[in-house]
Amino acid sequence: MAGNRFNVKKKTIWIALSPSIAFFVFIVVIPLVLSIYFSFYNWSGGPNMKFVGLENYKELLMDGDFWGSFRNNLYIIVLCVIGQIGIPLVLCGLFISRTLKFKEFHRTVIFIPVVLSAVVIGFLWSMIYSKDMGILNLILRSLSMEGLIRNWLNDPDIVLRSVSAPLIWQYIGVYLVIFMSAIQGIPQSVLEVAELDGAVGFKKLRYVVFPLISNTIKVAIMLCISGNMKVFDHIYIMTGGGPGKSSMVMAQYAYTNSFEMFKLGYGSTISIGILVLSMTLIMLSRKLGGAKN
Amino acid sequence: MYKKLMALLLVGALLMSLLVGCGPKEEAASNDGDAQETTGGTTEEGAEQEVEEIELTFMHNLLEETEGGAAIAFRDAIDKVLSENPGLTITEEALASSSYHTKIKTTAAGNELPDIFVIRASMLDMLIETELVGSIDEDLNADTDWKDGFLDGSFQAFSRGDKVYGIPLSAKSTSVVFYNEDIFNEVGIEQFPQNFEEFKQAVATLAENGYTPISLGNKDKWVAQSCIISTLGDRFTGTEWFDSILSEGGASFTDQEFVNALNAMKELADLNGFNEDSSSIDNMQQRTPYYNKEAAMFIEGAWAIGDVSKDAPEDVLKATKLALLPPVEGSKGRADAFSGGSSVAFVINSELSGEKRALAVEVLKALSSPEYGKTMTEYNKFAAVKPAAYDESKLTELTKQYMELAGKTTFTPVYDAYLSPAVIEVINSGLQELVIDLVTPEELADKIQKEYERTLE
Repeated sequence: MAGNRFNVKKKTIWIALSPSIAFFVFIVVIPLVLSIYFSFYNWSGGPNMKFVGLENYKELLMDGDFWGSFRNNLYIIVLCVIGQIGIPLVLCGLFISRTLKFKEFHRTVIFIPVVLSAVVIGFLWSMIYSKDMGILNLILRSLSMEGLIRNWLNDPDIVLRSVSAPLIWQYIGVYLVIFMSAIQGIPQSVLEVAELDGAVGFKKLRYVVFPLISNTIKVAIMLCISGNMKVFDHIYIMTGGGPGKSSMVMAQYAYTNSFEMFKLGYGSTISIGILVLSMTLIMLSRKLGGAKN
Repeated sequence: MYKKLMALLLVGALLMSLLVGCGPKEEAASNDGDAQETTGGTTEEGAEQEVEEIELTFMHNLLEETEGGAAIAFRDAIDKVLSENPGLTITEEALASSSYHTKIKTTAAGNELPDIFVIRASMLDMLIETELVGSIDEDLNADTDWKDGFLDGSFQAFSRGDKVYGIPLSAKSTSVVFYNEDIFNEVGIEQFPQNFEEFKQAVATLAENGYTPISLGNKDKWVAQSCIISTLGDRFTGTEWFDSILSEGGASFTDQEFVNALNAMKELADLNGFNEDSSSIDNMQQRTPYYNKEAAMFIEGAWAIGDVSKDAPEDVLKATKLALLPPVEGSKGRADAFSGGSSVAFVINSELSGEKRALAVEVLKALSSPEYGKTMTEYNKFAAVKPAAYDESKLTELTKQYMELAGKTTFTPVYDAYLSPAVIEVINSGLQELVIDLVTPEELADKIQKEYERTLE
């Protein structure tokens, strides 16, 4: 249909799309099909594979550790939606107000963590969190707030919150940029009229800007959910899923099963489980958000 | 007309960008991270007879930056084989241990193993089952000098049935207690505890005096298992129990002796025996509090001896003494053994045959010759072969202490060298939870037993 508008032949469209489709098939579709295939086997590498049918899936449904890591993922998602979406929205309010100076500078500084590698961030924050030498406990101590000093990465009760902080910190910049560009898409006249009508400061944000960028916010929430369903590297570096399994997330559980316990078949089953759960969550978020398109 | 041309051009541009985009990435893949590829070879032009060109691929973890002297001994041995065998080329791929073992597992899964490679003993069963590793039994029996050159029991972890599959890289204990004698004296402990009860008292006394009794860095999860529970467990259960577990002879992880061993670990934790951040620091970092005189002990394998001799401040090094975990009174285990032996070995691909295989065996022989043992020893590493006469002045004080200790005792099995990776994973994360009181010893024993039963199916 779109083709008709520009008067381009179907064949041309397919030719033009073929490289990307080939690429997509090669890096997404084929591995996915292979994973589904492996998930029906007991396999630890090499030529010996034992077909077990749906056994792996049964095991997955009963696997407390898997559901535990799913719960951890959900917890991280909730924290990150609040942090990664909420904080940039508040910052947006600052950026469009006239009181904030050095906007360019602030934007650059906020964006810097985005380009850092997850491994670097993981190491950086394990140092920050270190119990005796970490800067966080050092600051708390120098402010004589000893009562707040925690063993950030070793206390199973708070470890999920500790590992979420770097995730939030790193991605604030991404969402800020997304929101800022959406705001720039709002015609200046609308904003001016709003101001004339007395919508200033928070009111302008709440009643004019947010409704106008609500679709962008929905997309951002979806990105945030899918991004945090597959979170792995930060946590792998900081705690390795520990202590015990208290900061284990699904991606790492799949990794541990596949490459540490060497249950490649079951590892594939877990990956398929992650896929199904992620899709469900995304659909749910779309339903709840009432996305029209 | 123009449109068509334009479309074609665009497709061309897209394809080009795809190709360009892929190009450098592939190159990076074979060269990334800490991997380094070196090609050593001798092509002696104009040698008297025509030599057949043979290339062997070799993947290993003997990087000089991480393995020190062992890598130097390795390099010497490889150079020797190359000079003796013109026409042989060895293409090496070396990675640091931490990533090496993951990579070799992945290569095994993809059925793309090199000709010679290094494995942990726990991988052997899987490789035999998938017929990826070749036995070297016949070659060993054909050359008795070679076979007799090894220390007793070196092949234990690499034999299945009556077949030997690997040449051990080294033989060393995984569980040596490094303790600071000055700190012990300062808090009024005159000698290293002689039994487990005394050991617990010592731990309590040290903790009361503000020291971390045992510095533990268990983030990577193998440390508590490989360095502590393998020996502590044996003290309680005796080695027969472990043999029975391996041969599926009826022993179970829920047996009271093993539960007692886990309980002993928990008791140490309850006495504040370990530092609180044990699950977020690793085995290298666990030495730092010891160097800073904040911790009185740490328990690690003999591999740490070289690093301690090099890194510890002089006064700490002087006060450092080595000991075994103390015996447990009234239990089945041997009083004086420690976990250890050979857990990593060179193996060859089952697909090798003819001349190529013969040369691969040559390489293995060079990597277990008395000269190799000599170089290893002189670099304070512990080879699995009897070394040729070496220069004793090159040994550090701690190495001498260790050799004296090891001379008087025997090795008991290290859990992760024998048990399947799945069971080990459960033990490893379980110990982390046990230390911070997330599971009881009984619950943990139950969990391990369940995974063990699953692997038996």
